[in-house]
Amino acid sequence: MTPAHDELRHDAAAYALGVLDPGERAAFETHLAGCAECAAEVREMRRAAASLPHAVPQVSPPPSLRARILREIAPAAPGPPASLVRRERRAPPWWLSVAAMLVIGAGLFAYAQRMQARVSNLEAQLRNAQARAAAADRLTAEARTAAFRAQAAMGVFAAPDVARIDLAGQPVAASARARALWSRQRGMVFTVANLPPLPAGRVYQVWVVTAQAPVSAGLLTPDASGGGSVYYETPVDILPPTAVAVTLEPAGGVPAPTGAMYLVGKPAPL
Amino acid sequence: MIWLFAAVVGFPGRSAESQAEDQRALRRVVDRDSGGLGTLYDRHGRAVFSLALRILGDESDAEEVTQDVFAQAWRRAGQYDESRGTVAAWLLVIARTRAIDRFRARRVRPEGRVQDDGGLTLQQLPATDPDVASEMMAAERGQRVRRALEALPFLQRVAIELAYFEGLSQREIAERLEQPLGTVKTRMRLGLLKLRDALVEAQP
Repeated sequence: MTPAHDELRHDAAAYALGVLDPGERAAFETHLAGCAECAAEVREMRRAAASLPHAVPQVSPPPSLRARILREIAPAAPGPPASLVRRERRAPPWWLSVAAMLVIGAGLFAYAQRMQARVSNLEAQLRNAQARAAAADRLTAEARTAAFRAQAAMGVFAAPDVARIDLAGQPVAASARARALWSRQRGMVFTVANLPPLPAGRVYQVWVVTAQAPVSAGLLTPDASGGGSVYYETPVDILPPTAVAVTLEPAGGVPAPTGAMYLVGKPAPL
Repeated sequence: MIWLFAAVVGFPGRSAESQAEDQRALRRVVDRDSGGLGTLYDRHGRAVFSLALRILGDESDAEEVTQDVFAQAWRRAGQYDESRGTVAAWLLVIARTRAIDRFRARRVRPEGRVQDDGGLTLQQLPATDPDVASEMMAAERGQRVRRALEALPFLQRVAIELAYFEGLSQREIAERLEQPLGTVKTRMRLGLLKLRDALVEAQP
């Protein structure tokens, strides 16, 4: 158990999902080579990650795609299977077969044509429906984020223990204003206006200040007008907040505040 | 019903058999036999197309990605390494990489790139990645993974989905969800471990 282990073990999931930056990845792999615990965990996580593509709704590609792929990629198609090569047989009287073929053939041909058209039509309909379902699945994933926030915010507004904290702009952002509504059980809704635009590589971070230490509520990226409304989950076991503050921090946030304070305020009775 | 359950959950022999069949097809591809590629397409084209469609949300883009995937399989069949995972997993990794690259290019965000299929992601895939040959089994398995995902707490699930389907880094996910980086790391880890547990529990 090394300090590197405590720090790097948190990257195992991103490593297993294949989304570490090259630098982080190199550092993690170096650690991985000598850490049996992380290696075992990564093995398990890869297993879970490899199952993810199967959670996707299955949609058949259009039938034409197969031919297109084979034509463009591998033009040298093999000959027909041997079983299809015609074998000579001793035939019954010629007129019988001709007559039978004409009657049956005409009927079958018409029938086959109709069925073929019908099948193609149904296949196309099915594929359209499947594609719509898959597209909807994707949109649902996006909508889920928005719905979660809205629902969580409503929960805070209606919480019996809701506390209001009005924040005033500090000298670096004198015209900034914000209001936080906080409930121990349900989290915090934070609404802000007039924050200055973020410098590159920086982000605002919202803190719940307690008697013990400031606890990070989350990050804040205001819109073009310097405003926004965000929902944060806060720890249920947090000490009663003595203040809420906003500081300017390096992108990604920090565990404890380091940057200039932009907004601060104390709880007020509702 | 027992046999159905067993088939669905997958006997190890069953997926090994399917993998052996895929490897035969791949060897034909190495020998420049287009029939081998046709077999691979028939067995995995649907899964590849579906993954691309989920990532890109557009059918014609998904078709092009599918075409790219099998073009790459045709060109690089010789580089497939069994010790790194099944043929099915290999194709799906290529599909994910291609689809995410295209997704990023479309959003004009060239910075960052999901790890290439030649590298790490491939190694991550378990050698026993289950069988997708039978559509029934695949559907059942998909449902099982889907249920396990749905059972995860919201942030854990979304963090995993953003990483896997959009190829976002932990930092990008933190920005998107307006959560501190440390929180995102913790959620992603917990979520993936829980997903693993749920999938293991579903096995007999």
